[in-house]
Amino acid sequence: MDRAEIETKVIQFIATKVENRDASTINSSSKFEELGLDSMDTIQLLFDAEDSFGINFDGEEAKGFTTVGDIVSYIEKHQAQAAS
Amino acid sequence: MRVVVTGMGVVSPIGIGTAQFWAAAVNGISGIKRIEGFDASDQRSQVAGQVPSFNPSDFLSPKLLDQIDRFAQLALLASKLALEDAGGLDSYDPGRVAVSIGSGMGGFGTFESSAIRKFRNQPVPPFTVPRTMANSAAAWVAIKHRFTGVNLTCSTACSSGANAIGMALDLLRSGRADVVVAGGAEACVLPLTMTSFEILRALSTGFNTDPERASRPFAKGRDGFVMSEGAGILILEREEKAKQRGARGYARLAGFGQTCDAAHIVMPDMNGQVAAMRGAIVDAGLEPEDIDHINAHATSTPLGDIVETRAVKNLFGERAKNIPISATKSLIGHSIGASAAMSSIATIMALHTGTVHPTINLDEADPECDLDYTPNQAQQKNPRTGLCNAFGFGGNNASILFTTLE
Repeated sequence: MDRAEIETKVIQFIATKVENRDASTINSSSKFEELGLDSMDTIQLLFDAEDSFGINFDGEEAKGFTTVGDIVSYIEKHQAQAAS
Repeated sequence: MRVVVTGMGVVSPIGIGTAQFWAAAVNGISGIKRIEGFDASDQRSQVAGQVPSFNPSDFLSPKLLDQIDRFAQLALLASKLALEDAGGLDSYDPGRVAVSIGSGMGGFGTFESSAIRKFRNQPVPPFTVPRTMANSAAAWVAIKHRFTGVNLTCSTACSSGANAIGMALDLLRSGRADVVVAGGAEACVLPLTMTSFEILRALSTGFNTDPERASRPFAKGRDGFVMSEGAGILILEREEKAKQRGARGYARLAGFGQTCDAAHIVMPDMNGQVAAMRGAIVDAGLEPEDIDHINAHATSTPLGDIVETRAVKNLFGERAKNIPISATKSLIGHSIGASAAMSSIATIMALHTGTVHPTINLDEADPECDLDYTPNQAQQKNPRTGLCNAFGFGGNNASILFTTLE
């Protein structure tokens, strides 16, 4: 998957997890707190994303995630590593 | 000070809402079926009382579904129904609204599924603790409705719901709250939990192909209780305030008694049960001869039903044979911490409608169980008082006394 594909999938996934948000209102720079996700909600989001995307987030690195784009970048990077 | 029940909500294997629940109860409908929630082919007990047509996504967002265990979801729906039935509590200061909910096991569904993941070296869901903790039901009811007063959870095994209702009466009498959302919730139709009860020989195992006949309190050939789930919630408030706000009352919560056998961790003891029933009667300022109806704990275990029968005979003497008794668990099975809350609703409905619901599957009684258990057919008895018993592991006994409003 290229970055654009990952981004679309992540945004679609997040839209199912947040309340009253359409995927079209979410973009790469959307902050979790703007989406109504507190720190616990974000941990749950990453947990669910692991199952959906077949990936394991490094706990320490994931602590620094603040935007949708951070998740996209992580998946992109680890996808590339897995392929190489 | 008089405390009245002004709202009731029940989510049970025989229906959601008091009307559905009570119609099934008086008609002697069983809610016991083969287990549907998981593959039970390896279980010795393969039948259970499960709430049909329960769709938590109808009232919870995907985000909250991740955060709330099934037992608390059941409590949320029962509370919603009870609050609607009471006409809402908007006239109360939210800081004076208390919540008191019992649960014997808490979020064991979450605990079991997270344990499986942990032992398979998979990540554990982040809300494992908030979903599992027994006080999550009371907490979510408070969060949902912004009730900022006292928030309590009682976990005394099978008597949890009864003690939670008793604690509510104390909160109202002591002035710590003006209204209490009180009851019990449980959801442990689960493989590990059921296996753990099986190993104690507590569950019925001989009716796997005939589920509706499995829960048979006081009957010959009964072989244990049937696990079930559900929630029952009462809205309790002072009569004066209830009248002021024009609320309808169903019954009075007149007293409760609590004791501990202090004898055996799981085996029941007659003396503790007698003392709990007597305590409830004394608390209400009544005498044993004033008791018109008993909703028995009656789990359908070989020993338990005999001990409770002896306790009733010990306390009421010759009159015991004339007191109509109902065993709600014959219809819905045993939902541990929710059971006394749902049985309380059955007791209140008996007072409110005059009809005592039947104990089903009672074609032939155990010779040692020789009282009037209202076998198989509802009876019009017009009771004015009703005792609801709940006896739990830990030798924990609670008895609640409801009376008609007059």
